[in-house]
Amino acid sequence: MNELEILTLTPLFAGLLLLLIYEVVPSSTKKQATDLIKYANMGIAILLFGLATQIGLEHDWLSTWSSGSFGAQGSYLLESDYTSLISSIGVNWHVGIDALSYPMIWLTTLLIPISMLVQWDADKGAQFHSLILLMEGALLGVFAVLDLFMFYVYWELTLVPMFFLILVWGGEDRRYAAMKFFIYTFAASILMLIGILIVYFHSAPVAGISGSLTHHHFDIPLLMQQSSLISSAGLRTVVFLLMLIGFATKMPSVPVHTWLPDAHVQAPTAGSMLLAGVMLKMGAYGFLRVAVSLFPQETITMIPLLVFLGMASLFYGAWVCLGQTNLKRMVAYSSVSHMGLIFLGIATMQPLGIAGALFMMFAHGIISPLLFAVCGAFKHHYHTLEIGSMRGLAHHSPFMAGHMMLGWMASLGLPLMAGFVAEVAIMIAFWMTFGWWVLIPALTLILTAAYYLWSMQRTIFESGDPHHGILPDTMHGDEPRDVTWHENAGMFILGGLAILFGILPALFFDMMSNWSTGLVSEVIIDALTALGVTP
Amino acid sequence: MGETKNESRLLLFLVAALMIPVGLFVGGGGDATSWSFIIIAAPMVAFPIILIAGQIWNGHPLWTNTLKEGGIPALMTMTITLGMGLWVITDYIRGVAHIESYTVSHILSWISFDVMTHTSNQWVILPNWEISFGVWVDQTTLMLLFVATFLTFLICWFAIGYMTTDEINENRNHRFFAEYLLFTAGMFGMVLADNFLWLFIFWEIMGLCSYLLIGFYYWKPSAASAAKKAFMTTRVGDVFLMVGLLILYHIYGSLDFSVVFDDPSTGVAGAAVDASLLGWALIMLFIGAVGKSAQFPLHVWLPDAMEGPTPVSALIHAATMVNAGLYLVARMVPFVDVANGGVHGLEDIGLLVAWVGGITAFMAAGIAFVQNDIKKVLAYSTMSQLAYIFTGLGAALWFFNHDGDAMRTAGIIVLGSSLFHLFNHAMAKGMLFMASGSVIHEMHHAHHHLHHDHHDDTHSDVSEIPEALVSLVKHLRTEGLTLREFFDSLDIDSSRTLTVNELQSGLVSTSIVDDSTDVELLVNAMDRNGDGEIDPVELDKYMMDFLIGGKIESHGDHDDFDPQDMRNMGGLAAHLPVTSTAMMLGSMSIIGIPLIGGFWSKEGIVGHTWDAYFHGEPLMLGPALLILLTAGMTGFYMSRMWFMTFAGSPKSEVVDHVHETTPWIKTPLVTLSLVTAFTGLILTMFGAVKFLGGKYDHLEFHHGGFVEEFVYALEHAFLPSDPNFMIVGYTTILLSFIIGPWFAMRIHGGSLKEGSSAIPLVSWLVNLSSRPSKMDVTNMAESSLAKALEERLYIDYLYEEIIRRTVIPFALLSACFDRKIIDGIVKGIEKGSQASSERIRLLTTGSARDYILYAAVGALSIIFLLMGVSS
Repeated sequence: MNELEILTLTPLFAGLLLLLIYEVVPSSTKKQATDLIKYANMGIAILLFGLATQIGLEHDWLSTWSSGSFGAQGSYLLESDYTSLISSIGVNWHVGIDALSYPMIWLTTLLIPISMLVQWDADKGAQFHSLILLMEGALLGVFAVLDLFMFYVYWELTLVPMFFLILVWGGEDRRYAAMKFFIYTFAASILMLIGILIVYFHSAPVAGISGSLTHHHFDIPLLMQQSSLISSAGLRTVVFLLMLIGFATKMPSVPVHTWLPDAHVQAPTAGSMLLAGVMLKMGAYGFLRVAVSLFPQETITMIPLLVFLGMASLFYGAWVCLGQTNLKRMVAYSSVSHMGLIFLGIATMQPLGIAGALFMMFAHGIISPLLFAVCGAFKHHYHTLEIGSMRGLAHHSPFMAGHMMLGWMASLGLPLMAGFVAEVAIMIAFWMTFGWWVLIPALTLILTAAYYLWSMQRTIFESGDPHHGILPDTMHGDEPRDVTWHENAGMFILGGLAILFGILPALFFDMMSNWSTGLVSEVIIDALTALGVTP
Repeated sequence: MGETKNESRLLLFLVAALMIPVGLFVGGGGDATSWSFIIIAAPMVAFPIILIAGQIWNGHPLWTNTLKEGGIPALMTMTITLGMGLWVITDYIRGVAHIESYTVSHILSWISFDVMTHTSNQWVILPNWEISFGVWVDQTTLMLLFVATFLTFLICWFAIGYMTTDEINENRNHRFFAEYLLFTAGMFGMVLADNFLWLFIFWEIMGLCSYLLIGFYYWKPSAASAAKKAFMTTRVGDVFLMVGLLILYHIYGSLDFSVVFDDPSTGVAGAAVDASLLGWALIMLFIGAVGKSAQFPLHVWLPDAMEGPTPVSALIHAATMVNAGLYLVARMVPFVDVANGGVHGLEDIGLLVAWVGGITAFMAAGIAFVQNDIKKVLAYSTMSQLAYIFTGLGAALWFFNHDGDAMRTAGIIVLGSSLFHLFNHAMAKGMLFMASGSVIHEMHHAHHHLHHDHHDDTHSDVSEIPEALVSLVKHLRTEGLTLREFFDSLDIDSSRTLTVNELQSGLVSTSIVDDSTDVELLVNAMDRNGDGEIDPVELDKYMMDFLIGGKIESHGDHDDFDPQDMRNMGGLAAHLPVTSTAMMLGSMSIIGIPLIGGFWSKEGIVGHTWDAYFHGEPLMLGPALLILLTAGMTGFYMSRMWFMTFAGSPKSEVVDHVHETTPWIKTPLVTLSLVTAFTGLILTMFGAVKFLGGKYDHLEFHHGGFVEEFVYALEHAFLPSDPNFMIVGYTTILLSFIIGPWFAMRIHGGSLKEGSSAIPLVSWLVNLSSRPSKMDVTNMAESSLAKALEERLYIDYLYEEIIRRTVIPFALLSACFDRKIIDGIVKGIEKGSQASSERIRLLTTGSARDYILYAAVGALSIIFLLMGVSS
């Protein structure tokens, strides 16, 4: 067991165990048990964050690959040996990380304790926090495994805790939202599974790894090394499209995005934070790890489609944001809009653009949980999410207003905050490849500013009276309050990190850039040459 | 108010802060530039500290009285930056350090990456590209650094006096001072940054702070919407600026000044630069500059931004942020400087800049004619003066893009004059805003004072009012009448003030209220000064407050009296000696009265814009004519402002109770008065114009001693060898010095009230203004042109209308489309599948064995299917 395996498996088993313990303790001691289990969950989550940070510090991320070995077996850090899980069909336990997955892993271990902290006072806390820990296990698995079968298993496994988080702790319309979330993304990943299976049946036999019955395997590093994975160009395109549908739904991209706003609006705060912060990134991660890495030629021929999807998500998403009246829905659509930039970054086929897309995943992973934490706190204290129902938030809840302003500004791409770095990188690369088309994403920045400023104007400002805000009807005469200490702490951490990574993006950007250069120089340039593409 | 108590002990804090730059100077190795990053870092670190400390210690006596709610820590930070800034500046202007593209690179490595490109028929990776932060120093940097550090220090000083004595700001000032510091960090960073991207980054930080500071009075709907407008309008420009940066990056492979300016005609990997692409990049940068410096057509935010506290107006809208656009355009000079490797064929950029400048200068000056709000006049004046500088910079770009020594020399002079005008304008306008702040502050306090003495007993509690008012509002709504139409329907002449009885009987006669309702309460509330008369305008405003805010301001806020309205002033020269002197000198500098401040730079701009026309550029005639006319208009509106405020007899009773109080406000005014009066001449003698134009490396006497320099400067200004300059120069002086002020005197001048007198420094001007025969302009003021100017030429309405008719419906349509169509399809599938699931339910027997069978059959069929495909 290496550190990575410990990191991946601990939360899964610990979460299950704590869930079970809570079920079996006698009901007379449930109350004490709840506290103990909450602390245990938090303790484990913090330890895992420490472990993930330690992994980051002890490795040199700028030399994970050398010429000719990008993505191959042995080019991953903390790579485990192959352990056969289902020997008959060649399913192996094989984990390893590189600069593509490490930032996501670090981000996951960071967001888990923070989302626990923000909802420290959740109902049924023991189960809630154990489910979040379980969620961590599933998410880390997605980012750590290098076996397509296990990747799919973990991919679907993430749905389970999230389904229950929405179903049990969600808002009024939670049953519908949970079912829609589950069925929608499950249906899309079935298409992805078909793609995976087709790839599987084209893998060349490798002794000791392929299945004894089928003589095929699911191993990504081996598949990347295999020359001419699928000989038929038509079939390659079909597989690529199947996978694209699966990943695009998760991201989500227009037009398969409508599960997201419903899920977000109904999900509990911690659920929303993880959903936006990490789960959406699985789509982009999978797209790069599987679709682009295995089918670079199809990626290149599909660039117009990628650009179209990216532009549609970005531009159309921003317009839809502008038309929202619900704070959380608006933030959810802003995720759709920002995820569009990831497709655009990848479509540039520039190392800088891909690195920008990776940094966008990371930056959005810091910023969007902050946005949802603010929305959650707003709902918690003012019992509504309607924009404009509350005026003068700055008077009654100065901390909440401050966090809202910081989060909104970070999300609209203000410099010295993480989101800006990604935007600049993607835009520079986009100009290099597509020239004046960059005006569409650039002008979208105006729309982004418009919907964020408009919502702030009608929430933080405009009470008309220096000493009172206008309170929503839903308060029923309650005294308005500011955020609780644990919400405040969580938001301070996220806000601080958004600024830290805006000033010092190199902490993660340089490793992402290194990985992107590897992908381009080792995979994409070959494909470009094979296709005979010239600028 | 407690303002009179001696607070000079607080200055000890500043001495302590000064120890940091002094300590570095003594012990830090003597190289100022390598320490200059502290200028940015200090306020950036202090920002969160003050913000959080203020949130924690709000109301604590130490925090409130000794630390002035964060004002003293902020001023300490400003002391550090001023000390550091002066150290850097003196090193260069004395000639100790030399400007040869001095740059301290790699203070911070931001991102590094690789780029793929296609050369000699194959795709290759070009490794090791980087964007990093460093410090760049040249003449422009030094000048702006002085403007920024010096003015932010003085304005912070002023703000302590202005902000902490107003009750409404109590327990909120820490937010002001913290945001103030972040703003200054943005300004310093933009000035010092050594590449375009970091320039942009700090530029945006300033944008954020301007948003926060304009919206400081967050509860006011007008402030909230002004803040949003400022951010959105500049954002439009910023987006284009960013596109410009992308193009530049693509051309040069770097945004560092040292790389780009080294040889602007050679791009990345030795490729020749395409002039038209570079031209587009520069146009994009210029659009950004237009937004930030409030030029037509992105000027709409600046007047509204006056909603912020007055120190903010002084800081952002006069002294620092609005100069960012000018700074950016000045940074475009190396691209077109053909003598130093610039790219040929870009003279159109210069023309574009000059035209935008000319149009804005003229338009803003015109609108300033009819403004009655003292800060609005200054806002339009700022816009107009910035436009002057733009015109000058446009001419400079045009000259630099032509071959020949004469062209280049002219370019240097007009570039230097423009930047020098930036300096003079920043000093004068910073002071004017602070002086206007002093006027407003004292008017406000005098009114407050007066109000308390008079009215506490004559008025009943305001909370009882709404009953009658609600009925009135309801009536107007159902009938669809405006207030004026309502009075017309009652045959009441609403263009004059109403008596209480008229209003009361009007309300009763239309059965809006019955006899039992206490109309008197409403009436009393309207009639603030208790003289039995009601101003319909006042009533209208009161009702608007009711409709918009949902609440009526309580008495303490006395919203009915506008301390910024010059129609309430007049004769203030008798009561505000320091302020009136400062404002006089500031106005003179802006007008360009010979020998004072702005005169020394304005002449150069006007003269050389005409010179470009005489050099054979017919299209330069437009801007040249426009700014010449604007010179006269400036003379008029600045004089008008001064006379309306300080000369003549008082126009409201408040004036007699005004007096200057706190030294926090007076000190910066005195300092800047001296600076405005003398630095124009002194710096001219030291060769500032050619220094800023890039010809000289440091400041010194270039033509002998003091007397020779003085004579040279005068000769150069009044007896130029070129007859064209002579004609243009004297025309400018005639228009701005004689004609403009003379009209202003005829309309608004007048001697003070009997028995009051002003100090000699200003009394001569007051007396002079009473001499010319009076002119009646009532007809002119009611003309449709005046109306259009008052409505800002309807440009704001046009924008609002466009947004209302296109953006908002389209956004709502998109949201609806997403819900009904895109999600609707999904829901449709869901419904369909529900129907089929009824049939499927027949298969769900509930037996586990059946399910396993289904699963196995399904899995096997998939596998066989795939094996078939794969073979």
